[in-house]
Amino acid sequence: MTTDETNGEAVEETPPDTFEGTLWPDVNRALSAVDVRPERGALDLIVHLPRKDVIRGLGMLKHDDELHFDYLRSLTAVDNEDEGVDVVYHLYSVSKNHNLTVKTTLANEDKVLETATTVWQAANWLEREVAEMFGVTFNGHPDPRPLLMPEDVDLSDVHPLLKSHPFAEIDVLQGEGLGHDRDAPGDV
Amino acid sequence: MVVEAPSEFETQDLLINVGPQHPSTHGVFRMVLEIDGEVVKDLVPYIGYLHRGAEKLCENNDFRQGIGYMDRTEYLAAHNAELSYVMAVEALGEIEVPERAQWIRMILCELNRISSHFMFLGAFGIDVGVFGTPFIYAWRERETIIDLFEEISGDRMMYAYFRAGGLAWEVPANFENRVREVLASAQQGVKDFDGLLTENEIFIARTKGVGFISAEDAIEMGMSGPTIRASGVPLDIRKTEPYLFYDQLDFEPITANGGDVFDRYIVRLQEISQSIDLIGQCLERLQPGPITPERMPRMLRLPEGEAYIRTEAPRGEYGVYMVSKGGNKPHRLKVRSACLSNLQVLKQMSVGQYVADAIIILGSIDIVLSEVDR
Amino acid sequence: MAITPGTATTETAELAVAPPETASEAPPAPEPMMPGEHPNEIPALVPIVPQPGKALYRQALPGVMQVPADLVLAAARKSSLWPMTFGLACCAIEMIGTYMSHYDLDRFGIVPWPSPRQSDVMIVAGTVTKKMAPAVKLLYEQMPNPKWVISMGACATNGGPYTRYDRVLQGVDKIVPVDVYVPGCPPRPEALIDSFLALQDMIMEERSTEGRGA
Repeated sequence: MTTDETNGEAVEETPPDTFEGTLWPDVNRALSAVDVRPERGALDLIVHLPRKDVIRGLGMLKHDDELHFDYLRSLTAVDNEDEGVDVVYHLYSVSKNHNLTVKTTLANEDKVLETATTVWQAANWLEREVAEMFGVTFNGHPDPRPLLMPEDVDLSDVHPLLKSHPFAEIDVLQGEGLGHDRDAPGDV
Repeated sequence: MVVEAPSEFETQDLLINVGPQHPSTHGVFRMVLEIDGEVVKDLVPYIGYLHRGAEKLCENNDFRQGIGYMDRTEYLAAHNAELSYVMAVEALGEIEVPERAQWIRMILCELNRISSHFMFLGAFGIDVGVFGTPFIYAWRERETIIDLFEEISGDRMMYAYFRAGGLAWEVPANFENRVREVLASAQQGVKDFDGLLTENEIFIARTKGVGFISAEDAIEMGMSGPTIRASGVPLDIRKTEPYLFYDQLDFEPITANGGDVFDRYIVRLQEISQSIDLIGQCLERLQPGPITPERMPRMLRLPEGEAYIRTEAPRGEYGVYMVSKGGNKPHRLKVRSACLSNLQVLKQMSVGQYVADAIIILGSIDIVLSEVDR
Repeated sequence: MAITPGTATTETAELAVAPPETASEAPPAPEPMMPGEHPNEIPALVPIVPQPGKALYRQALPGVMQVPADLVLAAARKSSLWPMTFGLACCAIEMIGTYMSHYDLDRFGIVPWPSPRQSDVMIVAGTVTKKMAPAVKLLYEQMPNPKWVISMGACATNGGPYTRYDRVLQGVDKIVPVDVYVPGCPPRPEALIDSFLALQDMIMEERSTEGRGA
C-alpha cells in the first residue's frame, strides 16, 4: 500500500512525509514500546505493527488517556496472495472523535494471531468471520465456531475470500433444461 | 424484568428453535432459545443463511458493476449503501463531485431513511402483536416514496442511480414539487403512527423496560445507529464526521436515555420527522447545475490505495473499506455492516426476559439479513 | 289424548303458526291439499310434465349447472391459493408489497399463511444458499398435496447475480420442482400477480391430474 499521491509527471523526489496534522505524534508516544511504522491513507492514518505486538499495541491505544480508542469499528483481512494476509483494525474514539487504522501482516504459512476480544468485545463475531473466510486462527477466542458457513458440514479447509478460492462455474445455462425433472417418480 | 421460577417445582429447560423460517423473524435468521418456563436462559443466534458472497463477487466486477451488489446488500436503504461505495471510489480516485449532485444525493438518502424507518415501524408493529394496521399504514407511505424513486431512477428498490462522480442522469423536471408532495404525505404518516402506537397503553406496557443495554456496553460492542442513540450516546456520523454537505445543515442527533425497546422506537419515529426537516433544508439550497464532472472516463482505473468510508445508514454505520492495487477492479471490498455489529448484542439484551420479549428485542434492533450475511 | 287433525284447539294452532293477526294462512287442513292448491306454496315445486329433449332434472331445477367434478375442484383450488410466507431476501420486500393494499393480492383469494401445513403455494423469494437448502426442502415436504412452487426472482431461478459464488445454490429447481418462474431482480408486483394468474390457468388446465402427487 503506497500513499495516495498521484504521481503524474513528478520527476523530482517528494520530501519524506512528517505526518503533521494527523494523530501520528500521539500514536507514536502511546506505542513507544513497540515497533511501529506509519502511512497515510485516504482519510485516516494507517499504522503498521508487527504480529507479536498487535494486541499489546491495541490495548495501549485503548487505554491511553489522550487517544482513548474505545470503539472498534471494523476488523477485517486482505489477502495479498504471496505476501501474506493483512489483518486490518479500524478504530474510533467516541469521546475524542478521531480515527486510526492498524494493520499487521501474517505470512501464508503461519496465519495465527492473538484474539482482540480481550480489548474490545465487538471483535467477537468479526474475528469469527475472518477466521472462516481467510483461514486465520485467533488464539484465545471464546467461541471459535464458523459464523457464515454451515456448521454441520466440515468446511474447515474452505476459505472463500482467499484469492486462491475459485469462482463457481455456472451449472446450467438458461434454456438447457431444468435442474429438477418434473415427471420423474420420486419423493414428491 | 428478571423472573425466577418458584423453587418447589422441578423444572426442565426446554430448547426451542426459532427459524430460519418464522413469521416474526426479519428474514432467514435462526436462534436457539433455552427457556425455563417462559424466561430465556440462553440464546444462540445462527446466521449465514443468506451469505451470498457480495464481497468476493465485487472483486471480479469493475467499479461500476459493484454498485448493483451494494444495492442488494441493504435493500431497504439502497441509496445509503450506494453512497458509501461511490464515495470510496471517489476518495481513491480523487474525483470531484458537483454541488447539485451532492444535494440530490442527500435528498435521496434522507428519503430512503424515511422509507426504511416506516418499514421498521410496520414490521415492529407486527412483532408487538398489532398484526395488520401499522404494516399497511407503513406500506402506504412507502409506496408514495417508492413511486418517486421509480420516476427518478426507474426501479422500485434497486436503484443503481449513483455513479462515481455524481448521478447517472438528471432528475425529472418536477422533482421539487414531487418531493414536497411526498414529504406532506410522510408527515401525515408520522402523525398516524404516533397516534396509533406511542401512547397506547398496551404498547407501552410491552416495550418499556424491555431489552435494556447501557451506553458503555453499547460502545464496547460496537453498536451504531438508532440502537446506540437510544442508549444515550450521541453518535451520528452525519454530525460527528460530516460527509456530503451535512455540516451546512442545522440538526442535532436524536437520543433517548432509556436504552430499551420503547426508546429505540421513539428515536426512529422522531428521526423520520428530522429527515423531513432536513430534506426541506436541502431543497432550499438546491441550485441548477451539472451532475457529473466534465471529464469522466468510461472505464475507471484507480491508483493504488485504500479507503474506509463510513456513512450513516438508517440502521447504523455502513462502511465500505476498499483496497485498490491499480486496475479497474477492487482488490478487496469489505462492507462494514451495522446490523452484524448490532446483532451481537442480542444475547445480552434478551437473557432474563420472556420469550415474547425476545422477539420484540430482535425486532427493535431492526436487522436486514442481507446486510448481516452479505 | 291423541291429537288428530281437526281436533286441534285454537291455542295450539296459535302457538304452532306465527302471527295470529294473519290467521288466514293457517287453517287446519281437513285433507291433504294437492300441490298447486295451497296459496302459500312456492309455485316452482309443481309436478312437471316431462318434455323430450331436455333432462328431467334440468326442467325441474332450472338454476342448476352440470359440470365435471374436477373443474369444480380446480376452480376452488385456484381461487384460494394460500402461499407460505417464505421470503428469503430482497424479493420478499416486493412480495410483501404485492400483498399490501396498493397491489392487493387478497382480491384473488391469496392470503399469506405462515404455516407450511396449511398452505398451497410456496413462493421462493430470494437467493437459496447451500446452508438454507435443507430447510427449503424440509418445508416443501411438509406442505400437503396439492402444492405448487413459484420461483420468484432471478436468484431462485438460476442463482441470479450471485451465481458465481459457490455457497449459493444455482436455482431452487435443483431441490424442489418449480411450476412458475418469475424473472426480474426484483420482479415488479405486477409480474408476481401475472405469475399467480399463470398458475391459476395452469391449475385449470391440469385439473384432471389434481396437482402433483395427489
